[in-house]
Amino acid sequence: MRRFGRSAPLWPLSRRLRRVMLTSLAVAVLAVAAGACSSGSSTSSQAGTAGASSSASGKVGGSLTVWVDSVRLPVAQAYAKAHPDVHVHIVTFDGDGNGATTMQTKIQLWNRTGNGWPDVIFSEQVNDPVWMAKAPFNFAAPINGLIPQSILSQWPSPSTTQCTINGTQYCLQDNLAQVVLWYNKKLMTQFGYTVPSTWQQWAAIGQKVAAQHPGYIIGTSGESFSHWIYFWGNQCPLEKLQGSQLLINASDSHCTEMASLLTPLIKNGTAPPLSVFTPDFAKKYGGADDKVLMMPGPSWYAQAVFQQTLHIPAGQITAAMPLSWNGETPITTGQVGGGPWIISRHSKNLATAANFVQWATTVFNPPGANARPGYPAYEPLANQWLASMATNSYFASDPTPALKAAASLIWSGWDLVTYPDQPVWSNTVVTGLVAGKPLTSLMPAFGHALSQAAQAAGYQVSQ
Amino acid sequence: MSSSALTSAPVEATRTRGLHGAPARGRRTGPGVSFILPYLPFLIVFGIAPMIYALVLAFTNADGSWVGVHNFLRTFGDYRFVPAFEHILVYTCAWLGSLIVFVVGLALLLHGRANRVSAGFRFVFYLPGALAGAAAVLVWLFMLDPAVSPFSGVEHVFGDQLFVQSIAPGKLPFVFAMIAFWTGAGGWIVVMYGALNTIPDELDEAARIDGAGPFTIAFRLKLPLIRKWIAYMAILSFAIGTQLFVEPQLVDEASLGLVPDTWSSNQFAYQLAFRYGDFNAAAAVSVDLLVIGLAAAVLIVTRTGLFRRED
Repeated sequence: MRRFGRSAPLWPLSRRLRRVMLTSLAVAVLAVAAGACSSGSSTSSQAGTAGASSSASGKVGGSLTVWVDSVRLPVAQAYAKAHPDVHVHIVTFDGDGNGATTMQTKIQLWNRTGNGWPDVIFSEQVNDPVWMAKAPFNFAAPINGLIPQSILSQWPSPSTTQCTINGTQYCLQDNLAQVVLWYNKKLMTQFGYTVPSTWQQWAAIGQKVAAQHPGYIIGTSGESFSHWIYFWGNQCPLEKLQGSQLLINASDSHCTEMASLLTPLIKNGTAPPLSVFTPDFAKKYGGADDKVLMMPGPSWYAQAVFQQTLHIPAGQITAAMPLSWNGETPITTGQVGGGPWIISRHSKNLATAANFVQWATTVFNPPGANARPGYPAYEPLANQWLASMATNSYFASDPTPALKAAASLIWSGWDLVTYPDQPVWSNTVVTGLVAGKPLTSLMPAFGHALSQAAQAAGYQVSQ
Repeated sequence: MSSSALTSAPVEATRTRGLHGAPARGRRTGPGVSFILPYLPFLIVFGIAPMIYALVLAFTNADGSWVGVHNFLRTFGDYRFVPAFEHILVYTCAWLGSLIVFVVGLALLLHGRANRVSAGFRFVFYLPGALAGAAAVLVWLFMLDPAVSPFSGVEHVFGDQLFVQSIAPGKLPFVFAMIAFWTGAGGWIVVMYGALNTIPDELDEAARIDGAGPFTIAFRLKLPLIRKWIAYMAILSFAIGTQLFVEPQLVDEASLGLVPDTWSSNQFAYQLAFRYGDFNAAAAVSVDLLVIGLAAAVLIVTRTGLFRRED
């Protein structure tokens, strides 16, 4: 009785409420449907703007939106200062480094809303142009009509190849990131070791160091890009495009021999599974009495890692030629980074966007402490940059002959793909190494995980 | 003072309602609706409409044509699907278990203390919750790194000398559960304390006169009376737990990829949508999460009688 009495007055209201709810639901559904329709039409209209990039003529001026990482911020600021007619709107972001999805997310959202695209993007992720040039992103503008061919031809051909997707060039590399052998001249002399020229000599020193000078290191295996240093350089086929197929073969002898060479060095602590960018690393191996004897790494390690991150004093570090496998020729080396500039095909100010990219890659070259951190990809600028590096007092001896020679040795059998492979190395190999597993036992899992990542990105994988 | 005033008010209300049940009910519906109304537009715009949008996306393809359960089968077959849901299962169990045991335990302990003492503790427990989600995770990134953590001694006990060891794959669900507990538990302790305050003093006194000790009162009297609040906490926390995103995402970026970017099911959906532009597959994973959350809610509601008005 009481129950009935309680619920009775509620009925009309709950019915009313339900009607209100249903009506609002219907309105919501309609709104969503309308939204879906309009977003559908906006995406199709974007596809239509793809051809707009062919008209690069126009005056340099107006407003320009540029997205850069923190390292490229000075370039953008310098351009704004040098071009008072251009209103440069600079946005800094994480640079998409280490396989972040910042740019994918942003471009998807801009594509959905049909506006908001920046005119120029700098990415730390060298493979970004590959997906930016393709559906569903369709962001990158072909660069050929925008920058004169006489300028474009001054980039080394491997660099142009990396920026060329399905026969069209979509980006310009800011810097080259060839791997060389960085070493500590002071420590090497003190310990009485000769600078190695082969991986075998390098590993032999590692064994000696573990016995004679424990705590010192000859490299690291804990970077998210360690496989680019050791396996790219040793011609291990982990990303080799063969027609429509992507060859991923971690059991190739070029891969297994390098894994076998590294395994004892990781175990004896001379190539620890730690990243140079972690506080742990700087604490253990950096500082005034640093423990870095040697370190195979890219050209930009000089300032970014040794000087600014590890604070290794001046007069110790310099570069030697990339290591060869048992003296085999020609020597090939890996690449870590070499971030590209990409112009948006949606830009309404293509002339200024192109002017910006050209200026950033061919003109910007400040002296002294503000010098560019990386080896300029544009050759005339590289020569100027090398000249100033040669006299830089930070280095124990002139590193530039090795850097210049290594620039043309990057192995071309490692193709850029739409997905980032660094997270795969990190979460299948580095976590295993930290747990004490030998690298040789992790290689099959690494190859398998790479294949899965490739297939998820739509590649047909062969082994 | 204020707490005793709070305690007696509902008792009075219950009594009036008991005596003049029917008219009281009629009077209460009007204000009830006016309380709900301001929330309704937000519920529709940010809750129900996106849910319907996700349902539409989950059963269609990029062109908008009906594909049935294809998106569900496709995502289920993905190599990242099962590990992501496994991680979430372990994490949610660890977190929900610790949340219920510790929150209820601490609230019961506090409720037995003098008001000033318990107010102080409630404030301290609540403090970490004042940090927004992402900021709290950043604090934990430092806590987990033995090189900079003030609690590196504790980490050494667990054999962690390096950050990479603190976030080893096997430890991750528990690390994330710890972060979530630290940020979320304080708020719930305050809620549970409020729930305990609704228990009439008369019952407490009667139990004491019957010879019940503090433990008997806590477990036999207070606990059954706040059962519905615990159920409410369990439902909300379960849904939040299965939707874990910020913690693994930030640890992934801070560790330069040591944690997979599809560690949790929500991250997996995010990657599908934004890395591959596959919004339909992402919607299918979201609908999976919705179904799991709803099923858990229905189970808890029916088991605990959360919406039952009378016992």
